[in-house]
Amino acid sequence: MRILIVDDSRIMRNIVKNTLKALKYPADIFLEAPDGDAAWSILEAQEISLLLVDWNMPGLNGLELVKKLRATAKFQALPIIMITSEAAKYNVIEAVKAGVNDYLVKPVSEKNLEEKIRRVLDRRPS
Amino acid sequence: MNIRYILPFIEAVEGAFDQMFQLQPRALTPYLVRKEEILDWDISGIIGIAGEAKGLVVLSFPSILARDLTAQLTGEVKEELDDDVTDTVGELVNIIAGNAKKGLEEFRLLISLPSIVQGHHHQVTWPSGPVPIITIPFSTPRGHFSLSVGLENIITP
Repeated sequence: MRILIVDDSRIMRNIVKNTLKALKYPADIFLEAPDGDAAWSILEAQEISLLLVDWNMPGLNGLELVKKLRATAKFQALPIIMITSEAAKYNVIEAVKAGVNDYLVKPVSEKNLEEKIRRVLDRRPS
Repeated sequence: MNIRYILPFIEAVEGAFDQMFQLQPRALTPYLVRKEEILDWDISGIIGIAGEAKGLVVLSFPSILARDLTAQLTGEVKEELDDDVTDTVGELVNIIAGNAKKGLEEFRLLISLPSIVQGHHHQVTWPSGPVPIITIPFSTPRGHFSLSVGLENIITP
């Protein structure tokens, strides 16, 4: 299993990673990217089991990345959770329409993150 | 003055600090500031707002509190305002502005990426026009900080 964490804030990437490590996810399954372009390069080169992606980033932002992934056949079933500060309902609707599987508003709690990841991975087609 | 729209910002500050730092900041009496005001702080994170309202949200700290909060997140003592501190302040103002949108859903708003201004007695360039700028001081057991908001169409004279 590999989890790709995409956020322009290194501090936030570490918070998410450390939260998952505390939930007993092994330390060697995490990959990181600071924007959508770098994430796309990683996704093309490696098998990723779960994408955790921020919305507001320089370059290709999280929403644009999700749209690009969903328009590409090999990424249509990739589990994606958007983790963002954008808390308005219209933002959640826009992200769901773009193709995210779930949505989490920062700051993230350990409990919410674990629940969302479990739910998204459980829904994966076998 | 219509200041009921500052409540979502106060709630966003309280929620972010509680969740991230286990701190319960106390909002003190808000006051109006002049655009050319020199800020008595060491570092500010700034988010631009666009869409159905335009303006800025500015979160300002003394160096010691910004370094202290960053140290709590990184587990490393911070002697200066390094990249981790600017990252923390930028992410905090991003979270506060993004979370405040939930209480302002009658307006469709877009938030920018955060920018940082630092240096003692720095100044923020506010948009021109007659938009009032409200500063909300906050007190915590670890120090004071402030949030300033100027939003045309939302906070009106």
